[in-house]
Amino acid sequence: MGEFEVHRVRFFGLVPAGVRCLACPPRGSRLALARTDGAVEVWNCAANYFQEKVIPGHEARSVEALCWAVGERLFGAGLSGEITEYDLGRLRASCSLDGGGGPIWSMAANSSGTQLAIGCEDGSVKLFQVVPGGIQFERNLDRRKGRILCLSWHPSDTHIAAGSIDAFRVLDVSSGQTVQRIMVNYQVQKVKRECVVWSIAFLSCGTVVTSDSFGRVQFWDWERGTLLESHTVSTSAVLSLAVSEKEDSIVVGTSTGATYQFQLLPVKMGSLEKRWVRTKPFQHHTHDVRAVAHSSTALISGGLDAQLVIRPLMEKIQKKSYDAALRKFTFPHRRLVSCARKARLLLFQFSQHLELWRLGSTDETGKDGEVLPLCRMPEHLLQLKSKGPEHIYCSCVSPCGGWVAYSTASRFHLYRVQYEGDSISIKKVPKVPKLLSPAYQLQFSSDSSSLFVASARGSVHVLQLLEPGGCRHLHTLRPPSGCPEAVYLLAPSADGHWLAAVGGDWVIHIYNLKCFKHHCMVPTYDCAVSAVAIHPVTNNLVIAYSDQQLFEFSIPKKQYTAWSRTVQNCGLHKLWLERDSPITHIAFNPKNPSHILLHDTYMFCVLDKSLPLPDDSAPLMNQSTLKQLPESMRQRQLHAFKICKKFQPLLFADLLDENCLVMVERPIMDIKTQLPLPVQQKKFGT
Amino acid sequence: MASRRKVAAAGKRGPPSALLSPASSEDEAPEELSFGAAKEAAQTERKLVGEAARRHRELLKEKRRRRQELFAEQKVRPPPLESRRPRRGQPPPRSLPSPRRSGSCSPRPCCRSWPPRRPGEGAGPGERCLPPGVRPLGTLARGGFGLGASKGNYTAVRLKDQSVIGLHQQLAKDFLNIQLYGPAANRAQANDFFSLENKKNPVKKAAVQFVDKSWGKYKKSK
Repeated sequence: MGEFEVHRVRFFGLVPAGVRCLACPPRGSRLALARTDGAVEVWNCAANYFQEKVIPGHEARSVEALCWAVGERLFGAGLSGEITEYDLGRLRASCSLDGGGGPIWSMAANSSGTQLAIGCEDGSVKLFQVVPGGIQFERNLDRRKGRILCLSWHPSDTHIAAGSIDAFRVLDVSSGQTVQRIMVNYQVQKVKRECVVWSIAFLSCGTVVTSDSFGRVQFWDWERGTLLESHTVSTSAVLSLAVSEKEDSIVVGTSTGATYQFQLLPVKMGSLEKRWVRTKPFQHHTHDVRAVAHSSTALISGGLDAQLVIRPLMEKIQKKSYDAALRKFTFPHRRLVSCARKARLLLFQFSQHLELWRLGSTDETGKDGEVLPLCRMPEHLLQLKSKGPEHIYCSCVSPCGGWVAYSTASRFHLYRVQYEGDSISIKKVPKVPKLLSPAYQLQFSSDSSSLFVASARGSVHVLQLLEPGGCRHLHTLRPPSGCPEAVYLLAPSADGHWLAAVGGDWVIHIYNLKCFKHHCMVPTYDCAVSAVAIHPVTNNLVIAYSDQQLFEFSIPKKQYTAWSRTVQNCGLHKLWLERDSPITHIAFNPKNPSHILLHDTYMFCVLDKSLPLPDDSAPLMNQSTLKQLPESMRQRQLHAFKICKKFQPLLFADLLDENCLVMVERPIMDIKTQLPLPVQQKKFGT
Repeated sequence: MASRRKVAAAGKRGPPSALLSPASSEDEAPEELSFGAAKEAAQTERKLVGEAARRHRELLKEKRRRRQELFAEQKVRPPPLESRRPRRGQPPPRSLPSPRRSGSCSPRPCCRSWPPRRPGEGAGPGERCLPPGVRPLGTLARGGFGLGASKGNYTAVRLKDQSVIGLHQQLAKDFLNIQLYGPAANRAQANDFFSLENKKNPVKKAAVQFVDKSWGKYKKSK
């Protein structure tokens, strides 16, 4: 089938930021997530947990609390003291209002989502009204000494429980007075430490649940001021708490990375009296779990090890299927690496800088599995730091390697790179066209003569690149019926004739670049698109969806190809559909037109359209068995999917030329050693 | 005879002589002592006591002198953000107070370097280096009245020069750091934590950081 020389790249030093907050809307399937670097993401739980939207962070922005309000509006608040609304259509912070109480530690929305309560550094709880266009300060509630670290509304919106240091208070919303103050620090330790109430929840039966820095989860009767139950789950702090909608299940996250589930169970079979019991322990994370959420079917936890873990609850799953599998997400669902094939360059996108590397080379050949010695080492050519506090949205390098572009929230930057022998010089292109919104995706044309900029409202700007170093705006392509969302994926064709653009509403539009007109729209499919690419020879658009479906659409004929219909009729293999991560890049081999190269985080696949499709009974990963069979026997067992799992976790894989591949890996252990310190674990025998 | 003297010299601590030597009665005459021997004994005793007392006095003197010097040094040490003109009659400024060699009590100038940091002290929350020539408001209060200045837990700066928001944010972040990563947090180094996992796995692997990366740094500095 093919032998490839693989450039195995491990020098992309990506360290994803830890997960700081999670917000699960009461009804709805979109999970909001905030990271320690200020980035806010929206994950679509219905579309196979696809990372739908990413709003990159900001140096001055720290998000300590995130919540959904009425009308699917997302609000965040942090230590800068401001409440920020995030515009999910334009992927940026739309407006912010100063809370007026110093750094904001916590924020919670009432049951209808019309009011927001914030807990501030100065000990005050403030109420804000959610109005169209932003939020408005309503009033201050009673202020006492001690920073408010956590807040929870009673489901009836009459009272608010606010956790502080050594105590928590219950405030009456209508009068604003503190109606109860309960001390949690009744000393049981020899050392006099202060007890920090990290999270709090108010149940409708009048029970307040708190978790504190001594590793205890406690249940209080707020009216009488008494402790109902106390459970010590850990020796280190319990940092986060979330209650299910039915209030019969609680999930807590600790500093050691363990999460526990508490359930309200009857004391005896059939008895009416119920008690909270710690039922399931989980150890999915290695670092602190600072955010947990409880959806109707799953326990969701996010840790400082940058992992998002979704643990479906078995009792909620009707039948045993892939829905019940544990899902762990560490890497983003977008490409952070771009490759200049002819020049053999790789551009790595970090949050605040870019790195340009040239791949090494080797003169030798070898057999399958051999490691070849390099005659020239990979070179770090350039490091481009983004000016200002904003993080980078997207970046791209042209196929010839002569142009590098990147965009932040406010500005778009384009650079001309020149190579003279071994030295490299870079010059910024002045007077780039001012774009109203940030560029959400950048893509150069295959002949490096134009740059496509994905913008808001479904529009794509076409910029013409001029020698020796300039650019001008040629045209703006817009979808015929308008689109409220931003474009997040672009795919130009190799002959420069077509451009495919995917917007946040999951509709794929195809534009004709010769006359700058909209050509057609791919029939809608109710799932997010994770990767698109246009075949260089046949001009077929290959689409990978986040539920692992594959489609092939012929652009000249404006319909799905015959192969695509066959795939849909037979169905894809069960193991293919049960993969954990979406396909993030599709490439083609010009010498073999029937080959499609795909990869996700844990596998690399060469799809041969000329071979038969496997059915569920055939093994999907059969490469190793095929290698052992003699040539004559192989024909019977060959099928279209040739999967290689040797390189993991993969951030990027591409074909450089006929028999040369590049694989960018990021070993998880390399990330974990650069994270903040984990809690010491005493193990027996060490 | 010598043994009996020893017993007698043991005095109150030892058992009464009557018990030890029941043979000796009070009718016996006291022992014969030559005058010279007794004089010598008394002299040596006086010498010993005198020397002990002198040593004790010297010790007290030394202690008193040290405390005096310490107070004098604290008095003389100028506030950190004064102008750089050396005081009259003082030797030219030195970067750090040198360790004390002689026993003199004269005040020495110290800490004229810029930025003015005392050794071992980091910036407290809200402390900022002001540009040279700008006097902080609190200069007069320090050092001028001869009050023993504290070890430097505070610095007076102008609030106009720094944002209050940044100060609050820094305090909040410090609180968070201390709670999560402070002394009570029981954190392990990444190397130890992951090496443990590697060793306990069914397939045992090497420790995470097998090579000490600081070796390279030393070589480069050379």
